[in-house]
Amino acid sequence: MKTILIVDDSISIRQVVGLTLRANGYEVIEACDGKDALAKLTGQKINLIISDVNMPNMDGITMLKEIKQLPAYRFTPVIMLTTEGSEQKKEEGKAAGAKAWVVKPFKPEQMLLAVQKLILA
Amino acid sequence: MDLTQARLLFIEEANSLLAVMESCLLEIESGDAEVAEHIDAIFRAAHTIKGSAGMFGFDPVVVFTHNVESVLDKVRSNELEMDAALINLMLDCQDHMAAMIRQLEDETVSIDLQQGAALIEQLHQYIQPQTEKAEPVKAMIHNSPAYWQLDIQYGDDVFRDGMDPLSQLNFLQTLGSIENVTALWAFPDNFDPESCYLHLKLDFASEASKQQIEDVFEFVQDSSTVVITAPQQIEQSLQNIPPSDEKLGTLLVSVGAVTERELQSALQVQQQLQQQSQKVQALGEVLVGQGAVSADAVAMALDKQKATEHKRPPDFQFLKVEARKLDELINLVGELVTAGASIDSLLQQIEHEPLQEAFGVLTGLLEQIRDGALGLRMVQVGESFSRLRRIVRDVSKELGKEIELVVSGADTELDKTMVEKLSDPLMHIVRNAVDHGIESKEMRLYKGKPAQGQLKLSACHESGSVVIEISDDGAGLNIERIRQKAIEKGIISADRELGKEEIFKLIFAPGFSTASAVTNLSGRGVGMDVVKRNIEELRGQIQIDSIPDKGTTFKIRLPLTLAIIDGFLVRIGDTHLVLPLNMVQECIEFADLHENERNYLDLRGEVLPFIKLKQLFNLKSDAKAKENIVVVQYGNHKAGLVVDQLQGELQAVIKPLSSMFKSLKGIGGYTILGSGNVGFILDIPQLVQFASTAENTACHPMS
Repeated sequence: MKTILIVDDSISIRQVVGLTLRANGYEVIEACDGKDALAKLTGQKINLIISDVNMPNMDGITMLKEIKQLPAYRFTPVIMLTTEGSEQKKEEGKAAGAKAWVVKPFKPEQMLLAVQKLILA
Repeated sequence: MDLTQARLLFIEEANSLLAVMESCLLEIESGDAEVAEHIDAIFRAAHTIKGSAGMFGFDPVVVFTHNVESVLDKVRSNELEMDAALINLMLDCQDHMAAMIRQLEDETVSIDLQQGAALIEQLHQYIQPQTEKAEPVKAMIHNSPAYWQLDIQYGDDVFRDGMDPLSQLNFLQTLGSIENVTALWAFPDNFDPESCYLHLKLDFASEASKQQIEDVFEFVQDSSTVVITAPQQIEQSLQNIPPSDEKLGTLLVSVGAVTERELQSALQVQQQLQQQSQKVQALGEVLVGQGAVSADAVAMALDKQKATEHKRPPDFQFLKVEARKLDELINLVGELVTAGASIDSLLQQIEHEPLQEAFGVLTGLLEQIRDGALGLRMVQVGESFSRLRRIVRDVSKELGKEIELVVSGADTELDKTMVEKLSDPLMHIVRNAVDHGIESKEMRLYKGKPAQGQLKLSACHESGSVVIEISDDGAGLNIERIRQKAIEKGIISADRELGKEEIFKLIFAPGFSTASAVTNLSGRGVGMDVVKRNIEELRGQIQIDSIPDKGTTFKIRLPLTLAIIDGFLVRIGDTHLVLPLNMVQECIEFADLHENERNYLDLRGEVLPFIKLKQLFNLKSDAKAKENIVVVQYGNHKAGLVVDQLQGELQAVIKPLSSMFKSLKGIGGYTILGSGNVGFILDIPQLVQFASTAENTACHPMS
């Protein structure tokens, strides 16, 4: 089973995404910010990370830069959750290693499609 | 074998190939030969000469032969017929090539360059598709594939980016079926196991749109090259659409032959080419060059366009109009609005439904004309923003500071007069921010901030007004210093307790300047009081917010236009008052039981301060009349205004009060009502401010 880590400070987003992905055969782990995510990564096999940009404690881009330093997660694909019109954030995210993105607000199906383009259930 | 020998070998080979060319051409001409076979032979000869000549760097031979080869290629694919004229031309070309080869052998041989150019010119006539011919459509049917053709050249970084080509292909199969896969790869000497060298060609059967297919590769688009060729049916659908005057790109996107992304990237390439070489390449050519669409589809689309070319409207055009003429027009529209209002009030007195209905239509048109006329005066604020960019650059350079200017909402529109009158206050605020607001580089580093300061300029629309914000990430306003200074200058008394906002407002007091050293840049006698006055003259308001060490924000709120407003008419006794409609929140009945000693009431759990305008302006009113409260809002503050009677909406042409009444507070101007009476336009910002501070200060009514 492929495991996906979803990082977002909004519990509702975590839950909806979690529900959708679990229903389609993925394992989902949740984290509420960058720090939490880094803590939860340790020792886990993660196939994909979905992360918000703006979060308390540690934002998504800082987190990404840290993750790219970890040998075990260097090549883990990352989907960034960007907001409409924040091209700059999207480019920052891409530079930091998040080559996939989903624009907020999104429908659960859109997220599922993006995930399926990256990893098989 | 050394190079000289190889060269001789080439010359020998080329000469024999040229001989083959000649004999084949002559045999075709005499008519007793297998044409197709001979054409193949001629083509191969030209092709080989070109290839070998390239190896030796004989560029003139390569260029010339390339043209010959292109024409022969068309003959080979039956797009051109090898007629007498073409045979003649080919023989001439063959002679010219022979001459060029001879020159390689013996440098004393001269070749006729002019003749070469003329031949190329003639060859080009064959290569360029002749648009008069309606043929290309037919040719396309043979060329276009029945399946989608996907050519995916994955980039080196694909694996490192966490992308999985296999997942993508699996996902692709949700849209259709992959009929055929060809994998091509080329491994370099310095093979890197983390790099991706995959290059796939797919035949893909699918009902999906080109956009949908392209979306599958959305996340590798940056690192890889994905070329998708539509099956023939899609491009064929161009034949079935009616003639259109849409742009070529739009047309191709509309039938799904090209996706939006392909169009954008082609437009970009086109622009770059233009900048580099000053040469304009047609969009169609770029698209074909990128493999986004077949040349035939472009030709079809162009045909559709041509059908309507003669009636295409001209592109955007601008007219320069004298500002005076525009002002006259707006003035007249104002008068028209007033005249309309007077007809309206007459109509109220007579019962004539058809007339009233007809007038209703007229009123609708009048409103459109009014909005249109006012719109003519609207310009983007970006113009004055760009002037500020220069100031920030110059001033920060002079002071040795590094400052980044971030501009947003430069396309927000505002009345031209306002943009002009804003220019000075904005300049002053920006100068202040650069000079006093943002700290020196050393100080910023000491405080743990980035050395580069940031100044943000933004403009946006907010419920009927335009809000312009200037914010810096500097030291913020020093509350204690402002207080001290105000006491020193005698603006406030030493024992006065003031809130944060009130202290900030002190910097707008006349004769206030906190700069300890008057520099060349600011403090030239024009103080913040002038800034505030300028903005108030535009019926605007300025607010300050500041956090120590985080920065200062100036927020300027301006009405959209100066000339005409949608107003709300109320009456106290015989006096008519007009409130700007966009500031009116609601109207409630004013019952006596609300009344107490202090002027506030409970509005659904909220404290609402109110003003009795009757008392404020010292007006006579009908003693018996039931009073009403109009709740108005400005910025974050709400207040109630107590009036006698509510009379409804109207359009008011604002006339300024004569300078004699400049000091009058609470009234911003006047207007002539339909009845011919004068209506005073209330200055809501001042009244709201008065209402919310009246409770706290011992101040008496402003009049």
